[in-house]
Amino acid sequence: MALVHKLLNGTCILRKCPKPSVALYPFLGTRFADYCSSSLQKPAAVPGKASSQRKTEGDLQGHHQRDVALDITCPEEKPEVSFDKAIKDELKNHFWRLKDDIVNRWIGPEGRPLHEVLLEQARVVWKFRGKEDLDKWIVTSDKTIGGRSEAFLKMGKNNQSALLYGTLSSDTPQDGESSRSGYCAMISRIPRGPFERKRSYDWSQFNTLYLRVRGDGRPWMVNIREDTDIIQRKNQIYSYFMFTRGGPYWQDVKKKLYLYVFVRVYLKYKFLKVKLIPFSKFFFSNQGRIRDAQYQLLLDKISSIGFTLADKVDGPFFLEIDFIGVFTDPAHTEEFAYENSPELNPRLFK
Amino acid sequence: MRKPVALAGGCPTSRGMSWAQASLLARGLCRGWGGICGAALTGAPFSQVPPQAPRGLHCSTAAHHSDSSLVPRPPEPPRRPAKALALHEELFRQAPDGARDKASFVQAVQKFGQHNVHRRGHVDFIYLALRKMREYGVERDLAVYNLLLDVFPKEVFRPRSVLHSIFIHYPRQQECGIAVLEQMENHGVMPNKETEFLLLQIFGRKSYPMLKFVRMKLWFSRFKNINPFPVPRDLPQDPVELARLGLRHMEPDLSARVTIYQMPSSKDLTGVADPTEPHIVGIQSPDQQAALARHNPARPIFVEGPFSLWLRDKCVYYHILRADLLPPEEREVEETPEEWNLYYPMQLDLDYGRSGWDDYEFDIDEVEEGPVFAICMAGAHDQATLAKWIQGLQETNPALAEIPVVFRLAGSTGELLAPSSGLEEPSPPPPEGQEDEEDSQQQRQQQGQS
Repeated sequence: MALVHKLLNGTCILRKCPKPSVALYPFLGTRFADYCSSSLQKPAAVPGKASSQRKTEGDLQGHHQRDVALDITCPEEKPEVSFDKAIKDELKNHFWRLKDDIVNRWIGPEGRPLHEVLLEQARVVWKFRGKEDLDKWIVTSDKTIGGRSEAFLKMGKNNQSALLYGTLSSDTPQDGESSRSGYCAMISRIPRGPFERKRSYDWSQFNTLYLRVRGDGRPWMVNIREDTDIIQRKNQIYSYFMFTRGGPYWQDVKKKLYLYVFVRVYLKYKFLKVKLIPFSKFFFSNQGRIRDAQYQLLLDKISSIGFTLADKVDGPFFLEIDFIGVFTDPAHTEEFAYENSPELNPRLFK
Repeated sequence: MRKPVALAGGCPTSRGMSWAQASLLARGLCRGWGGICGAALTGAPFSQVPPQAPRGLHCSTAAHHSDSSLVPRPPEPPRRPAKALALHEELFRQAPDGARDKASFVQAVQKFGQHNVHRRGHVDFIYLALRKMREYGVERDLAVYNLLLDVFPKEVFRPRSVLHSIFIHYPRQQECGIAVLEQMENHGVMPNKETEFLLLQIFGRKSYPMLKFVRMKLWFSRFKNINPFPVPRDLPQDPVELARLGLRHMEPDLSARVTIYQMPSSKDLTGVADPTEPHIVGIQSPDQQAALARHNPARPIFVEGPFSLWLRDKCVYYHILRADLLPPEEREVEETPEEWNLYYPMQLDLDYGRSGWDDYEFDIDEVEEGPVFAICMAGAHDQATLAKWIQGLQETNPALAEIPVVFRLAGSTGELLAPSSGLEEPSPPPPEGQEDEEDSQQQRQQQGQS
């Protein structure tokens, strides 16, 4: 599995070619045996469960997946048999998804007709309407480095929104090297295509991030990571702040956009929607430090988004998220909010 | 020797200092004075002392002499090590008879300058002072930071040639300067011209503290006012004022009115308010008042809470008065005649060739919740207190007298330990146990007859 994963990541360099999924064929053929053998060496703990989990992560859920899941849950099978079968089903599933991929490409980008994609001004990227939506997110806290914060993610009462809650604690871990601590984060998983191929989001036609959230007055940080295969860039993220207002109201005013004849109304609209974060405001940082040379966030290959809370205030917190979308704000013309300073990087000004 | 440049080219005072401390540390460890030494030295992340410590521990004087061919011979270790080491701590320890405030902190720093004219051990002193700042409550005071930077000897650490500035000149001192700036950054203190002047005098233009200063100057000014919901730096101590601030913070409608339904009873000598008479502060906007008047009396409305709101580092709890969402068949569509507002028509149904390009709506059903009629903050979270709030609300909302009010309070009265989550969830971590408790607490209270 890991081998294939690595190999596929390697082949992602080929993404520049127009049909990457087709270009993958020869690689898949040669590495087929590796896939099987490496999975066979895994302990046979709960292969069925693992594979079914992985299936739910997939974007494309065809009818064939349901059949697979039924087969796996069959109880009176010997472990060897079910294991082989699980591999087979997993493979079959991946090939089905590959087929879907190719067919979808024929229809248009992302399986939707071209005119629909081109005319799109607002797109919902992540929503929270069921348990399976939570599987697209990872929740971490500084427990992983020995701290005491904890964070949990679950669905709201009416299965209509996600609730991220927990306790922040800035006690430093007693490991002798950490001098500060205290963070909780929620990060979206990297989208995966067939055969666990890494994918990315293309938001190049949008210019604003739209969040419908409700918090408790704490400041959060929104981090966007670009999809890259260069290992030196894995710590580079683009960030901006998300201030929550607190209180019982959702942080976006539910008023219709009344299109006036004049464009001026867009300004009003912009004023109302407080949780619109233009992508031009995101600043560039590496390993948590703001870089001296600032570059614009390029939106054609977005890998993940994350929310971080680290405001050094110990105590409980919550954040409810309805949905996260991207939006074209016609009144927003700014390209990048931060100019580079000749004092800090004179090389850019030579 | 990790930093040969720094050591070989170091000024005599600083080198002597570090050597003296190395041997002191060794002695201190041997004699069990680890507490003092550890406290004095933990603040130095890049100290040159630890690598030298084993030498002092295990080597004889002969080893010292053999070393002296590489490094100039260290001065003889002083006879009374404990006093010299604990000196810096002593400076801060003299204060306790008085109050721990800015004046005593400044006094301690000035005393350090008077004690040794040559500024021996200034790096350790600055690290110590940085740690002590929070105790003295001066961690957000720019003048104190400037005073600390002033402790550095001037003109000594400035690079004199290009080679100096290529290799880090006096790394330990530069790190200390960065640590001062870093602590300023963590507390959101914007450096000023004086800081710049001091840094220029101490480290020169081409140095790392100066670089840090330029970065801070750039990014602090960019991020200074980005919070769309600003909270004052110093929150009011009075709970009523704090509640008023919190309610204004939450309510987006500027025409909403804050009402103090009950002032806290006069404080007795101990300064603790009487628990039977907590403060009740509420907020309601004219729109909410109108919506409450229109509310169907057959449907109950709910007092929910407590929910948390953070104002900087203070957590306050609020309760809301809300109704359930109406079923779709009972909702009445609001018709606003166009002539109501000539300047901003509420509705405009012009088909100006709108096509798919103009569709700015998200393809999703947003979460809908029942309307909120009022918010309140009270000193106590029990039902009796909130019933007083409802009674107070009845004066401005006569319709409330006919509507049954149900209290859905999540936790027990008094202290709130469980993190209160969003409005849909009374308490997240133990859902089962809490629900039953909550059901038992649900008491229908007919306010109409009272």
